[in-house]
Amino acid sequence: MSAVTYAATDLPGVQVQRQTSSGRIAMTLALAGIVAVAAMPWWASTGTIRSILILCCYIAVAQMWNLLAGYAGLVSVGQQAFMGAAGYALFVMAQTFGINPFLAVFLSLLVPAVLAVPLYLLLHRLDGPYFSIGTWVVAEVFRLVCSNLPIVNAGAGMSLRVMKDYSAFERNVAMSLLCAFMLLLTVGGSYWLLRSRYGLALIAMRDNPVAAASQGVNVAKLRFLIYVASAVGCGLAGAIYFMAQLRITPGSAFDPMWANVAIFIVMVGGIGSIEGVLIGALIFFIADRWFGAYGATYFVVLGLMTLLVALYARTGIWGLISKRWDAPWFPIRRKLVDPNRP
Amino acid sequence: MQWFDALVQGILLGGMYAQYALGMALMFGVMRIVNISHGDLVILLSLIGISMATAWGLAPVSVLIILVPLAVLMGWLLQKLVLNRVVGSDPLPSLIATFGLSIALQNLMLQIWSANSRSLPGHGIESQSIEIAGIYVGVLPLIVLAVATGLTWGLDLVLKHTRFGRALRAASADVEAASMTGINPRAVYALATAVAVGILGFAAVFQSLRSTVAPADGPAQLIYAFEAVIIGGMGAVWGAFLGSMVLGIAQAIGFRIDPGFGVLAGHLVFLFVLATRPQGLFGKATT
Repeated sequence: MSAVTYAATDLPGVQVQRQTSSGRIAMTLALAGIVAVAAMPWWASTGTIRSILILCCYIAVAQMWNLLAGYAGLVSVGQQAFMGAAGYALFVMAQTFGINPFLAVFLSLLVPAVLAVPLYLLLHRLDGPYFSIGTWVVAEVFRLVCSNLPIVNAGAGMSLRVMKDYSAFERNVAMSLLCAFMLLLTVGGSYWLLRSRYGLALIAMRDNPVAAASQGVNVAKLRFLIYVASAVGCGLAGAIYFMAQLRITPGSAFDPMWANVAIFIVMVGGIGSIEGVLIGALIFFIADRWFGAYGATYFVVLGLMTLLVALYARTGIWGLISKRWDAPWFPIRRKLVDPNRP
Repeated sequence: MQWFDALVQGILLGGMYAQYALGMALMFGVMRIVNISHGDLVILLSLIGISMATAWGLAPVSVLIILVPLAVLMGWLLQKLVLNRVVGSDPLPSLIATFGLSIALQNLMLQIWSANSRSLPGHGIESQSIEIAGIYVGVLPLIVLAVATGLTWGLDLVLKHTRFGRALRAASADVEAASMTGINPRAVYALATAVAVGILGFAAVFQSLRSTVAPADGPAQLIYAFEAVIIGGMGAVWGAFLGSMVLGIAQAIGFRIDPGFGVLAGHLVFLFVLATRPQGLFGKATT
């Protein structure tokens, strides 16, 4: 017992600095951005709202993939399973059972949460790269089950006809608020998580899972929690995306394209950082607008870029930037400052 | 009788899957890498084979003779240019690199060959059948099964009895210890991938003879290979072969129950094995 008091009296008088000026500027801009997204119906056209909604979905899905691959070391290529599951849950609740669709968006998140638990218990038995293909098989199973299930209208898919009860303006308001909420939950939530004491554990795990475990981090439990959290985040993106699409089919709900999108955004932007996700999402969004019309050629270039980043620039664009300028947008480091020595 | 027929057809289908699964088991066993473009390479080789056959009027055997060395070369290049740079204890770089390659290959094939399904003209062999014990069995599927058995047997012998096999097993058990005894792991890896993709040369010819191929078919072949490897038991060559049989039988029986259920039945057997026997049906439990 006396050892504790001895250690306490011996502490140097330092302060822990956790915020930087670049972080304060970025935080202000991020909050302004979220407010601007929430207020879209008053400044943007319906077309713009749709585009920004897709950008928000990219950011959300990419950040969820980043949490999985960048921090927990779980490389999933099947997060579309949870997007589709939540999307289908929304359609069944709102269209078949007549639950208010805006309430159903939130209720539908229970489905990915509940599904993720047994799936993780199954998939974590697979070793490293086999885990990834396992997640893909799960997404395929979901697609095939939905293609055969009468309650979701099998392969023909479903339409969200109840949305016609709301005016275009009401729908725009709801979609904008949902987008702002999604950004707050996925990006804001990740930032909060990384700054909490779990964040220290996560970063330790990212750098070296074995060393982290030896320092008392419960790596297995943390991986499980991240997997479930990421499933819910992807589910929210799926529910919002398909609510805006008004239509869902097994092919669109469980489209492996979302895995491409998440991997491209995170790898090119910079894995293991929130800044990288935002940069990557913006690049992908703009590239998709400008070059999407080139179809296959465009995807050849995307694929080769992903390959080259994995070979030569594993930290992505944000890695290159942060090596040059020490100005994080979302600082998560703890810096010790001695107030007596300026 | 109908179910016995499904069983036989399933084993024959398993012969096809074994040809995909062998290379995957080999590469994972040696390098702990899964090549996500595994299935896309089969499709690429198939499409090259089909184009050669139509352009020069080649018979399937001639296509096979050209395609297998080409596949070996592709595997060797894949290892030298891509995989040797990403091999390591972290699975992320190799997954992302081969994932990017897979997307690029699929779309490149889409541009060159369009989205149409094609098949290799077999000059009649694809429709021949013989009657065994009251059921009709295709000659081509029998050849496929025989080749798969031969490849598995040959690979097993090479691993057990040759200098290359010993080097390979040493590198897979402990890379650092192996390099201390004078083995160059990168050279061994390059040969392993060359063999793995070389086997896909056989798979490509048989796949395009048996049914049709289209640029987007690769991921499905990757998933079947993966399921066969996990069902059978990780790493072992014969495990991958037997896992392919189980997967083939599950799919064939599933297709008899309902045509929409065939592929799903294979997935469900895979998940069931993962839940009840994660080391695979024929794998040894690690304690």
